[in-house]
Amino acid sequence: MTGNEGQPGGWLLRGAHRTLTGLHPALESVLAAVVGLLVGAVLMYIWGYDPWRAYWALLRGAYGGSYEIASSIARGVPLVLTALTFAICLRGGMFNIGAEGQMYVGAAAAVCVAYFQLPSWLHVVAGVLFAAVAGAIWSLGPALLKLTRGVHEVISTIMFNWISRFLVFYLVAYVLVDPRQAQRTVRVPLSARFPILVPGTDLSYAVFMAVAFALFAYVLLWHTAVGYEVRAAGLTPTAARYGGISVKRTMLLSFILGGVAAGLAGAATTMGLPPTYAIISGLPELMNLGFDGMAVAMVGRNHPIGILVAALFFGGLNAGGRVMQFYGSNPVPLEMVRVVMGAIVLAMAIPELARVFPALAASGRALVRMLSRKKPVEEAA
Amino acid sequence: MGRGSRAFPLPLFVSDGGTRMNESSSRSGARENGYFLRAERITKVYSDGTVAVRDATLELRPGEIVGLLGENGAGKTTLTKILSGLLPPTRGQVVSPRGRVRFASPREALEFGIGMVHQHFALVGTFTAVENVALSHERPFSSLQLGATRAKLEALMEESGLRVPLDVPVEKLAVGEQQRVEILKVLSREVDLLILDEPTSVLTPLEVDELFRLLRRLRDEGKAIVLITHKLKEVGSVTDRVVVLRKGAVVGDVRTAGVTKEELAQLMVGKALETRAGRAVELSTEEIPAHAHDRERGDRGPGVLHVEGLSVAGTTKPIAVDDLTFDVYGGEIFGIAGVEGNGQTELVEALTGLRPALKGTATIHGQNILGLDPRQIYKLGVAHIPEDRWVLGLVLPFTLAENAILGVHRWDEFRGPLSVLRWGRINAHVRSLMERFEIQATGPSAPAKSLSGGNQQKLIVGRELAKDPAIVIASQPTRGLDVGAAQYIRDTLVEMRDRGRAILLVSADLDEVLALSDRVAVMYEGKFMAVARPEELDREKVGMLMGGVSVGGRG
Repeated sequence: MTGNEGQPGGWLLRGAHRTLTGLHPALESVLAAVVGLLVGAVLMYIWGYDPWRAYWALLRGAYGGSYEIASSIARGVPLVLTALTFAICLRGGMFNIGAEGQMYVGAAAAVCVAYFQLPSWLHVVAGVLFAAVAGAIWSLGPALLKLTRGVHEVISTIMFNWISRFLVFYLVAYVLVDPRQAQRTVRVPLSARFPILVPGTDLSYAVFMAVAFALFAYVLLWHTAVGYEVRAAGLTPTAARYGGISVKRTMLLSFILGGVAAGLAGAATTMGLPPTYAIISGLPELMNLGFDGMAVAMVGRNHPIGILVAALFFGGLNAGGRVMQFYGSNPVPLEMVRVVMGAIVLAMAIPELARVFPALAASGRALVRMLSRKKPVEEAA
Repeated sequence: MGRGSRAFPLPLFVSDGGTRMNESSSRSGARENGYFLRAERITKVYSDGTVAVRDATLELRPGEIVGLLGENGAGKTTLTKILSGLLPPTRGQVVSPRGRVRFASPREALEFGIGMVHQHFALVGTFTAVENVALSHERPFSSLQLGATRAKLEALMEESGLRVPLDVPVEKLAVGEQQRVEILKVLSREVDLLILDEPTSVLTPLEVDELFRLLRRLRDEGKAIVLITHKLKEVGSVTDRVVVLRKGAVVGDVRTAGVTKEELAQLMVGKALETRAGRAVELSTEEIPAHAHDRERGDRGPGVLHVEGLSVAGTTKPIAVDDLTFDVYGGEIFGIAGVEGNGQTELVEALTGLRPALKGTATIHGQNILGLDPRQIYKLGVAHIPEDRWVLGLVLPFTLAENAILGVHRWDEFRGPLSVLRWGRINAHVRSLMERFEIQATGPSAPAKSLSGGNQQKLIVGRELAKDPAIVIASQPTRGLDVGAAQYIRDTLVEMRDRGRAILLVSADLDEVLALSDRVAVMYEGKFMAVARPEELDREKVGMLMGGVSVGGRG
């Protein structure tokens, strides 16, 4: 009655099959990325661009050297954090699209460190804490609305995104504004900035914060009883309740953790983003990072480790896209990169793509069976 | 077998089971020469490499009830899904007189005249029965015909005797009632072939009789019927022909009249029978041995669960459990029999912290349990084997290991400092459970949904009994399981009782309750009609009590 009964091949083949089955979700993401790039290529061709040259430029701009790789990583840093917001809440059974607004609030809170003095490393810690707490508090709104009044989190987080957007617009223009530079807020003082990791690039020590939080999320979700409760409640709330788990508590917890992650993204884009180290009016450095994070989470299969890889890919698309738009005599505009991103997210949602690998596996097995000329085990009568 | 007078015109084949062949036909009519559907040398291999069906050949004819018999995981459901065109076979084909059959959707199968009632129902929970049936008739952009559907359903209910409340959301109905909605839904499409997957596992004896009467009438109207089951008694009482599957292969295709229950059981379980010499008799006849009778009376232990004046509200009814008072003692099995939907579910939920009580008290070893959450109740020594293993008992996408700690995940054995789970210990625990409870799975990291129903239930039972509880509250613990797994779970419960634990057994399987229990309560509309020792009751008496008819003096 084992699963391998009647399956041809030796332990090596079966082992390879198991490994591939385990990699299945990752392979699906890769396939979606390929489909997205193909769609982009077709569109470029239709509009008279040369897709090969454009993608070559994109690739070189993203991963062509240490400077390029560092830039790609730097662009991935806030995406890791906003993706974790989405992923943690999804594991807890909720569709939290409030990372955008929570990140704005976190960024505004981080900038507040400009108003007091502290020794260098303490100043950084204070900024990070400010941002994390602000993000968490902002996420409490939708969380409490859901738990007490049953308001669906998709609706409330969208609303909270708008509220925080205009709130931060206001703060940037009137409260945190630098009296000498009206188009931006006061700058995060030197003592509170994440040090630059690779000179000449945007890559700061904020990357360690993002990776550490991803690892923390992984350990929490898969190696602690608390995370176990979150995942159980997210998958089967009735069974979780049977298991003595308070579903309301796990929902609140995942919302707060998500808020913390988004707040940290706000810290990374102010305290860790040269050259301004401030919020510019109109939030150009922040805009859409929360929503892009959702795409990263999807491609990363809502797993912290997958998200790290996906964020590097999306960061590379962003960084490489900037090179692509200046390359050659007929450069491809940056917007094409967003088309590719959109196509990837759409491809992730096509169920037929997910069936490609089982189909491949089936034909692989058929091939092995044919080669080994072994019929499935016959039942003894 | 009741239907012995029916003659069978077509020669029946036996693949390798060596069972008695049929007598040759005494009658040959035009209708009998035609078949409705034929599966030819079907093999189905799933994408994970599991061979579910091997080289199976099966013919279905109008005016015949075919029993598809086999243990869980024998391939019964897969074979019928292929027959109704829902799954493509890996090899072989399904043909009808109109040619080869292949459907893209259940709707196409229905239009062809094939209706299937699945073990797990395909109903929209928030819709009423009328809306669910109307929905199944729906074409894109057509208008909903609620009025016509209601009239049709009422006529159908009148004709078939299957009664359901039409205006309550189906998620609020008892499982048995939901199944009736599902059957009505298929019948309303006027199908020629009706496939029922384990239909009786949620029904009471009376309801089963009604269902069988209905099936016979449909058969006499010329419909082909396939009844998937593992209950030999049902095969004997209603089918005309029986096809036995074992590990995906057809091991017998015989006239019901020409074969004994013992032979069928032998075919069904195959060699496993000899390896468990001590149980061969039980397995072959599915007679549940009466565990209660071989013990001395009066040796029950101290009171464990004490319930007094307990009332609980139901989801649809204002009062589901009505002023109940009873005790369960250590070293006894207290069985609750009754038609489903008479408050058993609500009683169990109230005692396990899943549903608030209206009034009354319930204590375990003198400590109040009402108003506590499930985790606190487990701490007091309660194990709960829930009614619905997919909704309550398991997180299906979770692995075996993750499921094995549901409810005990905060216990010190499994949780170290900083709330870190000790996966090493948990995996060791799961391996010991797999060994002790004969759970067949590839390992602790196999997802629970990859297990067969019997193994899923063994996992739940193992997890709950590993708590070393003072009382086991078991609700429908053997529902939908094959003979072997059901017997194993019954034996385990009896063993727990013999070790001095209290068992509260709620089951719709009357034979099970009567055979296992030391005391039996018959529940009707939230009250106990009677509490008695099983030898004081017989089936007829219990049947009357379950129907709400008091029997002389008791109660």
